[in-house]
Amino acid sequence: MAYTFELPPPLPAHGWKAKIRDRERLEPPHVTIIRKKNAWRFSLRSKQFLDTQPDPSEVPAELVEAITLGIDELRRVWDEMYPENPVFS
Amino acid sequence: MNTQAILVQDANEKPSSDFAKLKPRLVQTAEDLLSAFKEVKRALWIARDPEFLRQLVTLAPGERTSSRLLLLEEVSGYRAAFLRAYFATVVAPDPQIRLVSSEVLAEILADDAPQDYFIGGVYVPEDDVLVLYRGDLETVVVPLSWFDRPVGPKPAPEDFEIIDYGQSVRLGEFEAATDAILYGFDADFRRRARQREVQEDHSFGGSLRRLRLEKGVNQNDFPEISARTIRRIENGTVTRPHRDTVEKIARRLDVKPDEIESW
Repeated sequence: MAYTFELPPPLPAHGWKAKIRDRERLEPPHVTIIRKKNAWRFSLRSKQFLDTQPDPSEVPAELVEAITLGIDELRRVWDEMYPENPVFS
Repeated sequence: MNTQAILVQDANEKPSSDFAKLKPRLVQTAEDLLSAFKEVKRALWIARDPEFLRQLVTLAPGERTSSRLLLLEEVSGYRAAFLRAYFATVVAPDPQIRLVSSEVLAEILADDAPQDYFIGGVYVPEDDVLVLYRGDLETVVVPLSWFDRPVGPKPAPEDFEIIDYGQSVRLGEFEAATDAILYGFDADFRRRARQREVQEDHSFGGSLRRLRLEKGVNQNDFPEISARTIRRIENGTVTRPHRDTVEKIARRLDVKPDEIESW
């Protein structure tokens, strides 16, 4: 099942999610931040946003901080879900 | 939204606010219907049900538009067949076809790239495929085998739903990313997605690695090519593999040789 990263309040109440789904684009490893119809891919290797659009500056700083602080957990989950393409091989 | 939207609405009905963002042309009378049908090409028509559109039988006999029609309420197969005689594409919910809510639909349709979201779909058990409707009403047919993963839950297509505002496909406990599906099945989406990337390895080796992973093929699973060679290509040690090698790689990955670099 998709892994949903627990975000601090009030982010979930404002519609923010961060998840690793069972079938993602495999490379590079990432967590997907979603709010309504916007989605941002955040690299689990470089800890940077992977795309220029949507604008990464629209993601709240506290959300990026939470993901950065939880990066070890996210990497572990990615490696479990995608053993054929671990974060660091 | 770049496509003209046309909203069919009963004159006695309170104007719907769901689709206001689309700034639709309203069709409420037979005269509205005929002029919109004849004048506007390649539009997106939205109607709650097909009743009002029955007038096309007398107003525009034998004519066909390049526009697409999205119905919001269930319609039987034969009624949809009648409408397909007039519209290039018809999408309507039925007991098997599920669409997202009107609120989500309106958001997606108003986007500059509605084709990058899914608005609904249906599982066809006889062919073991998922037919997914994009926001521009085009379809993507995905074999259920594409969702197979070595770990995690198995997809349950009988429990199918589009979630996350069209960005995820849920099959029971299994979730797939819309962008992963479109990246795998739409070369134009791949091209546009690559243009948005901040920094990505766009070398031949980088593309090969992404494609190989998407296809679920190991480095040591290429007949006639050693794993060492594949590794050297992917890490950039070999930047221009021999044409013969590229053709063998393409054959194994079931793509055309010049398609590899699109990944």
